[in-house]
Amino acid sequence: MLSRVAENLYWMTRYMERAEDTARLINAVTLMSLDMPPDVRLGWDTLIRVAGLDKVFFSDGREANEAAVIRFLQRDESNPSSILACITSARENTRTFREVLPWECWEWINELYLYARNNLTHDLDRRRRYEVLQAIIRRRQSIVGLLSGTMSRDPAFQFLRLGRNVERADMTTRILDVSCAVILPSGDPASSQYSDLLWMNILKALSAYQMYRRYVSVHADSRKVIDFVLRNREFPRTITHCLREISEVLRTLPQPAVPLSAVQELILAVDGAKADALEGSQLHHMTDQIQLGLARIDAALRKQYFRTANGSAELSEAAA
Amino acid sequence: MMIESQNHAVMERYDELLDGQDQPRPIARALWDYFHKLPKEDLAARVAAVDAAIMTAGITFTVYTDAGNIDRAWPFDVIPRMIEFREWQRVERGLKQRLEALNLFITDIYNERKIIKDRVFPAEVLQDSKNFRDACVGFKPRLGVWAHVCGTDLVRHSDGEFYVLEDNLRVPSGVSYMLENRQLMKRLFPEVFGRYRILPNENYSAQLYDTLAALSPRSGDRPVITVLTPGIFNSAYFEHSYLAQQMGAELVEGADLVVGDDDCVYMKTIAGLRRVDVIYRRIDDDFIDPEVFREDSALGVRGLMRAWKKGNVGIANAPGSGVADDKVVYAFVPRMIKYYLDQDPIIPNVPSYLCMDEKDMGYVLDNLDELVVKPANESGGYGMLIGPMSTAEDRAKFADLIRANPRNYMAQPTLSLSTVPTLTPEGIAPRHVDLRPFVLQSNRSFVTAGGLTRVALRKGSLVVNSSQGGGSKDTWIVEGDS
Repeated sequence: MLSRVAENLYWMTRYMERAEDTARLINAVTLMSLDMPPDVRLGWDTLIRVAGLDKVFFSDGREANEAAVIRFLQRDESNPSSILACITSARENTRTFREVLPWECWEWINELYLYARNNLTHDLDRRRRYEVLQAIIRRRQSIVGLLSGTMSRDPAFQFLRLGRNVERADMTTRILDVSCAVILPSGDPASSQYSDLLWMNILKALSAYQMYRRYVSVHADSRKVIDFVLRNREFPRTITHCLREISEVLRTLPQPAVPLSAVQELILAVDGAKADALEGSQLHHMTDQIQLGLARIDAALRKQYFRTANGSAELSEAAA
Repeated sequence: MMIESQNHAVMERYDELLDGQDQPRPIARALWDYFHKLPKEDLAARVAAVDAAIMTAGITFTVYTDAGNIDRAWPFDVIPRMIEFREWQRVERGLKQRLEALNLFITDIYNERKIIKDRVFPAEVLQDSKNFRDACVGFKPRLGVWAHVCGTDLVRHSDGEFYVLEDNLRVPSGVSYMLENRQLMKRLFPEVFGRYRILPNENYSAQLYDTLAALSPRSGDRPVITVLTPGIFNSAYFEHSYLAQQMGAELVEGADLVVGDDDCVYMKTIAGLRRVDVIYRRIDDDFIDPEVFREDSALGVRGLMRAWKKGNVGIANAPGSGVADDKVVYAFVPRMIKYYLDQDPIIPNVPSYLCMDEKDMGYVLDNLDELVVKPANESGGYGMLIGPMSTAEDRAKFADLIRANPRNYMAQPTLSLSTVPTLTPEGIAPRHVDLRPFVLQSNRSFVTAGGLTRVALRKGSLVVNSSQGGGSKDTWIVEGDS
């Protein structure tokens, strides 16, 4: 597998995952905003902050109201991580390695791109917005299904899996951070009810609500939800699950020692955190730590697989 | 679908599907019948489905304009061009004969130059050749073959005969569109296929693979074959990627390859460096090795020529092949066939006037309004003068160009290219076509069943290049009458 192709595969799924997870996030937050009482402030600006895009967004003095934030996340040209920008980048990336994917894959990605370009218009009302984002999620999922059902478990497949899980873990931490976006009125007797509602919506943004109810509890208690989202081993969007996938993938690749140790380190940190200590700013500190750990894994991957040195030592080794 | 007959006034031209009375030729009856009976809405729906399929498949090519590069959908016409199998067999023999002679010529030119010593080919043509490579002098590649992949442009004149218009020996493109066109037709008009026995063309990729594998310097069943592309911004990138995918080869860019101290070529993989056996390069000579050719090239691989000349890697087409891809050299191909193979050319050349010859130049300058003038080394239909459609100003400009550099120009009579009925906004009407079959040669020869039929979509136009308003059609080699 060419290093350049491996890197493009990795980024292709990172972009795809980011697009899908952003769509899920917008849908969940939109639904949440309908449930919240008028005096609960839903900070749309925080949505921009957790996505790590505040610098771009606020650079030209925009106001963070619902319409502006949603437009920014969906297709704004100044946002390189908008859903449309991610799908466009994934499509352009795919062009560079069509030969390693099943033939239909390019058509489906191209079709997803054409759909997103034609339907993510600036003035979507809430109902239409929900439909379009669901359709994007569905199309992206069918591509995942196509690859899973028709692709050999070769290095190309493994790099797709790697990108997907690194990005997914990152987005999961960001969705957890949304909890900070909602400021509940203190001392209100209804507050705990809204707290449950908030955590329920966090689970929904991760499409985890049903599985959480089935295996943990019908009540969306903050500690239980945080513990589930960080450490549940069975649900495919939790931090622990993503990290285990990454480490499983690495074991199939050549010379995985360095990136693998970065993954192990992060797994230990997540396992060791105490759930009852993870509230408010502590939670935010934890998600920060995870994001830094993921960045270290990403750097290790780049060094090991994407930028092959061409020194003479390696040449003579290969020629031997 | 009604076909308006007045659109088909047959003048001095040959129609591939209809005879002089606008009746379908025997071979085309079933097809004609099918399109006649197809309700207008049904046809429109299928055309829309073709367009949608082309959009989703992302079958595009890039047009270079001042305003930037645009990715355009590949224009495809649904009415196929048909050729009888018996006739095709002869064409196929003619194409193999031609490429064989061209390869013998290239070896001779870089080595003994017997053809010049025997006064069959003038030395001065070589002196001014843009595509002659000093670096290749004295070299004989594996199997004695330089041009392994050739796209030969054929046209059919009003006399019903095929003529060779040019030989593309550098990096001919278009074969992926030929293959995609067939897939589109099968998907959208399956019923018509039931009425004919059409030669499949899908095996091209396997044939190309075998052709390339035969160039491997190492023995073994699975040589490491790569397709070397200039990258995503090249107009034929779609094809590079397509062929790599079809052959299970690695699609590489120059930066993915490195030549070691052992003069072998390696590609950079996730597990370190891996030896490469064969490179199907889709980059012009000029750019493949900054050590030997253009120093500023970022597309190529430093040391590639060294590796090739040591016999450590196969390159298709071999560097230097372009010496025979020259519109002046073209004029000598019939003489080459006679000289090297002692055979008569099976497919004739279009009569050509070489401006390097004083008498020919005089004729060309006197008859610019009737001739097509071509520069020797351009491709893609650029830099041409089409006499009957030119202005006095155009002609004056070309007369100056020719006088300044006679060796660089040749002229041919304006051929009346054959036509094929084509879907136009005004209904079905004749449009001019050419044909580019692809010919392979290494340890054996192969010709595609048909080729890429390019069609000039503008009424009356003779320019079929995709960069200048051309489209394409599926090409059927058909057995029997119907």
